[in-house]
Amino acid sequence: MAAVLPTAGRLAHGVAIRARKRPVPWVPLLLIAIALIYLALFLFVPLAAVFAEAFKKGATYYFDAIREPDAWSAIRLTLIAAAIAVPLNLVFGVAAAWAIAKFDFRGKSLLITLIDLPFSVSPVISGLIYVLIFGLQGWLGPWLQEHDVRVIFAVPGIVLATIFVTFPFVARELIPLMQAQGREEEEAAAVLGANGWQTLWHVTLPNVKWGILYGVILCNARAMGEFGAVSVVSGHIRGLTNTLPLHVEILYNEYNFAAAFACASLLVLLALVTLAIKVFVEARQRKEFSK
Amino acid sequence: MSIQVIDVTKRFGTFEALNGVNLEIQPGELVALLGPSGSGKTTLLRVIAGLEQPNSGRILFNDEDTTDTRVQEREVGFVFQHYALFRHMSIFENVAFGLRVRPRASRPAESEIKRRVMELLKLVQLDWLADRFPHQLSGGQRQRIALARALAIEPKVLLLDEPFGALDAKVRKELRRWLRRLHDDINLTSVFVTHDQEEALEVADRVVVVNHGRIEQVGTPEEVYDHPATPFVYQFIGHVNRFRDHLAGDERNAAYVRPHEIDIFEKPDASAFEATLNHAVKIGSLVRLELARSDNGDLVEVELSRERYDHLDVQPGKVLYLKPRRVKIFADEAV
Repeated sequence: MAAVLPTAGRLAHGVAIRARKRPVPWVPLLLIAIALIYLALFLFVPLAAVFAEAFKKGATYYFDAIREPDAWSAIRLTLIAAAIAVPLNLVFGVAAAWAIAKFDFRGKSLLITLIDLPFSVSPVISGLIYVLIFGLQGWLGPWLQEHDVRVIFAVPGIVLATIFVTFPFVARELIPLMQAQGREEEEAAAVLGANGWQTLWHVTLPNVKWGILYGVILCNARAMGEFGAVSVVSGHIRGLTNTLPLHVEILYNEYNFAAAFACASLLVLLALVTLAIKVFVEARQRKEFSK
Repeated sequence: MSIQVIDVTKRFGTFEALNGVNLEIQPGELVALLGPSGSGKTTLLRVIAGLEQPNSGRILFNDEDTTDTRVQEREVGFVFQHYALFRHMSIFENVAFGLRVRPRASRPAESEIKRRVMELLKLVQLDWLADRFPHQLSGGQRQRIALARALAIEPKVLLLDEPFGALDAKVRKELRRWLRRLHDDINLTSVFVTHDQEEALEVADRVVVVNHGRIEQVGTPEEVYDHPATPFVYQFIGHVNRFRDHLAGDERNAAYVRPHEIDIFEKPDASAFEATLNHAVKIGSLVRLELARSDNGDLVEVELSRERYDHLDVQPGKVLYLKPRRVKIFADEAV
């Protein structure tokens, strides 16, 4: 801006406009300053605080806190829940987006509304729904107990709750993208003799691969970070049904701040990695769109 | 391969896109489906391709009923208006797609695929673009690649939806001559959709004029231009003046006269009518005059050659005398 204006002035008047004649851009500067201060206060300071607190008692304590069996089991459970929820929601999301964007059928708008449901329901409520269905006093509780299947206060419940809250991410990402791309390429593939699977694999999916990756990243971040719904169904049994976010809460409530922050820093790292991949994917996507 | 369309009706909700359409296309013909937008011409093409299922009626290829044959098995070549090239595949892979998706038993060997694709790319004169991607090509190049891709599966018929619609005027002209030559070389039954009358008249063996989901007329370019079967065809193909007076003979009729079939005089003539020149527009070798009739104020369009116009030496406001050379009378209906 500053480099361009004087040139334009010279062109227009034949003489350079002196810098002091230009009004100082107070308003943009002020707004940028406010935004930066806000970011610093609410994002950078807490982020730094997490790591500062985590390493307060030294690196040895930090790694011990992470290696501790209960923490380790929480990490494992978090990874298991994400490893089940993300692929399932990937398959579901692709299938739903494909159906919605490429075909016309009855109940399409109902399906779109249902996909959004987990976004509009409080996570605690979604956890409670599972307790009401699968809990001992719930609809299926007695039957499940007879067959010696535990869902609530066990790993299956945690996985179910995670699937529910992360359900919309992939589909929501893909639907607008696929709708924007239209149906012509699929029709062209069909005329050329490709069956449904060939069209999906060789035409539809390659066109949305960055959208899929983006959706998976968001889905994964939420799956690993989910607290509310998982908290309701987990029962907080140490070493058995604690995910990483729940484990952090327990440590914190026990005034074991350094350990709590050490575990929290793992989640922060996950968030940072997610952000980095997200930036990369977005850049790739933009590049592909600008073609 | 002949195509027969028998009594085809297609509805989208309450909108009737095709209304009892009958059409017969001879083997090796190049046929244009011509009509305004929303007339149903693209729907008819898509029904022939199998991309749409008709609500009633049959489609026959070589007297064989293909109405219930799936689009994948119909063996038609289809060129989409916006090309619909696979954007993440190279030009080579785009053209090879139809061969690669064949079941293993009928799929050609890799070397054969390569040979056929390069042959097709040479046919459309773009073999040097094999490794590029669709977004690196111009509109005209994409269109030719779309055509090569459609031909790769050795289709029984070739269907083209507004093949030149998205191109600029000069490329359009080149491409449509090229398409005509290509058709004469490979002699494949071809149907293309267009809303451009000039394109239809220049390229096609026969023109099918479509309006409101019905076929108005089928004929050679000369037939539909010189002998329009309905007032709509008269108005849609070429310019036309419509008169509702003594020229029509009866008040229930209307007379149609082409602008270039009106003689213009400076002196009164017994059978001529009087009109005042509003303005003249010079379009290349032609001059288009707009005149207002003295008796009822109706506007009349007249087309003259540049020489004739210069010879007349007229200014706006001047009174002239018009005499139609050829008049076609239809029962009057608002078109």
